[in-house]
Amino acid sequence: MSDQIEKNQQILLIDDDELILKVINRILSREGYEVKTATNGKDAMELIEIQKFDLLITDIMMPYSNGFEVISKFKQHPNAEGVPIIVISSVGTENAVREGLNIGADDYLRKPIMPDELLIRVRRFFK
Amino acid sequence: MPAIILADSLFGPFFRKYFFYYDSYPLVIQIAIFLTGVAIVTTVVAYSSILLRRGRGYLVDARTKKINQFLDNLITDHIIFNEDVMSGIALTEVQIDLAQFQKPIFKQTWVKQALIDRLIYFSSSFSGDRNVLFRRLFIELELEKLSFKKIKSISLSTKIVGLVELTSMGIAVADVIILPLTNSRNRKLRSEARIAYIKLSKNDPFKFFDDATEPLLLWDQLELFKIITTTEGLTIPNFARWITYSTNKSIVSFCLKLVIHYNQHEAIPAIVKLLDTKDHYLRVDAINCLGKLKAEEVEERLILIYNNQPLRCQIEILKAIGRFSTGNQINFLRNEFLRSTDFDIKKNAARSLIKHGRQTKEIVQMLIDTATPESAIILKHCMNPLIKY
Repeated sequence: MSDQIEKNQQILLIDDDELILKVINRILSREGYEVKTATNGKDAMELIEIQKFDLLITDIMMPYSNGFEVISKFKQHPNAEGVPIIVISSVGTENAVREGLNIGADDYLRKPIMPDELLIRVRRFFK
Repeated sequence: MPAIILADSLFGPFFRKYFFYYDSYPLVIQIAIFLTGVAIVTTVVAYSSILLRRGRGYLVDARTKKINQFLDNLITDHIIFNEDVMSGIALTEVQIDLAQFQKPIFKQTWVKQALIDRLIYFSSSFSGDRNVLFRRLFIELELEKLSFKKIKSISLSTKIVGLVELTSMGIAVADVIILPLTNSRNRKLRSEARIAYIKLSKNDPFKFFDDATEPLLLWDQLELFKIITTTEGLTIPNFARWITYSTNKSIVSFCLKLVIHYNQHEAIPAIVKLLDTKDHYLRVDAINCLGKLKAEEVEERLILIYNNQPLRCQIEILKAIGRFSTGNQINFLRNEFLRSTDFDIKKNAARSLIKHGRQTKEIVQMLIDTATPESAIILKHCMNPLIKY
C-alpha cells in the first residue's frame, strides 16, 4: 500500500558531488521515485521554475548559490508550497543544523550518509 | 670565447650552407643569428613538450573518467545494492561477489589504484553497513598490501599517499611504522602521520605528543582537532599530562584547546602553573583556557599579576573576568575602562562589565551618562549583542 502512495513522487536532488548525486538518484529511482538532479543552485532554481516537486533534497556547500539560498528561494516560490526539504551536508556543526532548520528545512542529514536512513526519512514525508 | 668557438664548430657548417654571407658577417651578427636559431629551437621544443604533456594528461583524464564510471557502477551494484545487506542479513554473513573485482582488467596497476581511490571516495561519502563493506572489499582484494608498500617507499610523496589510503580505509598500522613519521622533517608527511596515528593506534593514540619535537603548526592543529573530536571510540586522556611535562610549546597550546573542548576541570592546577611561564603567548592561551573553563578560583591571582603582564595577556585577563562574572571585580573593570588609554583594554573591560548582566546594569548606564563621547560609543558598541569578538 505504501509503495503505491510513494510511486511517481517527484524529487529534486541537488548536490555538486556527482557520486552522491548518481548513487542517491539510483537508490531513490529504484524505490519508484522520479528524481531530477542538479549540480548547483542555479540549475536547481531553473528546474523549480518549470516543474513542481514533492520533495527537495539539497546539499549546503555548492557553487553559484548555496543550499541555504536555494531553500529560501524555494520557500518563496508558488510551486514549493508545503513541499518538504531535506538537507544533506558534511557541515554538521550545531550552527549549520540550526540555520538549516530555521530557514525552513524539515530534516537534516549529515554526510557521510547511510542509504537506508535516507530512504526511511524520505518515505516518512510521503506517508 | 670558448662557447662561441664551440657553437661555431657545431652550427657553423649549417649557417655557412644556408646563410650565404654568414662568414662575411661581423661577429655580433653571427652571434645574433646563432642566438635566434637557439631561441626558435627552444620555443619549438617547449611548445611541443607542453602539447605532449597536455595530450598525455587529456588521455589519462579520459581513461580515468571511463574507468571511474565502470568502478562506480561496479561498487554501487555490489556494495550499495548488495542483496544480502538490503535483505537485512547480519554483516558477517554478507557475501561480496569478489570475482567481479578480480577480472583481468584489475591486474593493471593503474586500475587497482583507481579502485583504491574510488573505494576511499565511496567510504567518505557513505557510512553504516556499506562503509564496513568497502573496508572488507579493500582487505579481501589485498589492496592494503599496495598501500603498505607505498609507506615503505623512499619517496616521501608516495609514503604520504600510502598513509592517507590506510587512514581513510581504517586499516590498522603498527605503531613502530607510524611513530617515526610523526616527527618527519617533511611537514605534510608529519601531519598525515599524526592524523593516522590518532585514528589508527589501538593502544595510546596520543603517544606521539610525548615525543613530538617538531612544532604543531596552526593548520595541523585544526586538522588534528577535527580528527580527535570526530573519531568515534577514542579514549580521551587527561591533557594536563602534556601541559605539565611537554617541552614542545605548540603541543601545550594545542592541549589547552583540547582541555577547553573536553571541559577538563581536573587540568586547572596544571594550567595555573603555566601562568608563571616566560612565554607570554603560552600565558595568553593558559588565561584564555582558565576563562573558558570558568575557573573562578584563579580570579584573584589573575588580578594580582595583571599589572605585570604584556597587553595581550591583560586583554585575556579582562576577557576571563567577564567569563567568570563573579561580580567581585566590577570596580577593577570600571577603573580599567575609565583609566586606560588603550582602545583594546577599554573595549574588553567594557565588554566584561556588560557580560556581568544585571550586576552591572546601573554602573554601565552611569558610565554611559558620564563618560566621554568616545567611551560612551565603546560601551554602546559592546552592548550590541550582534557584535561578537
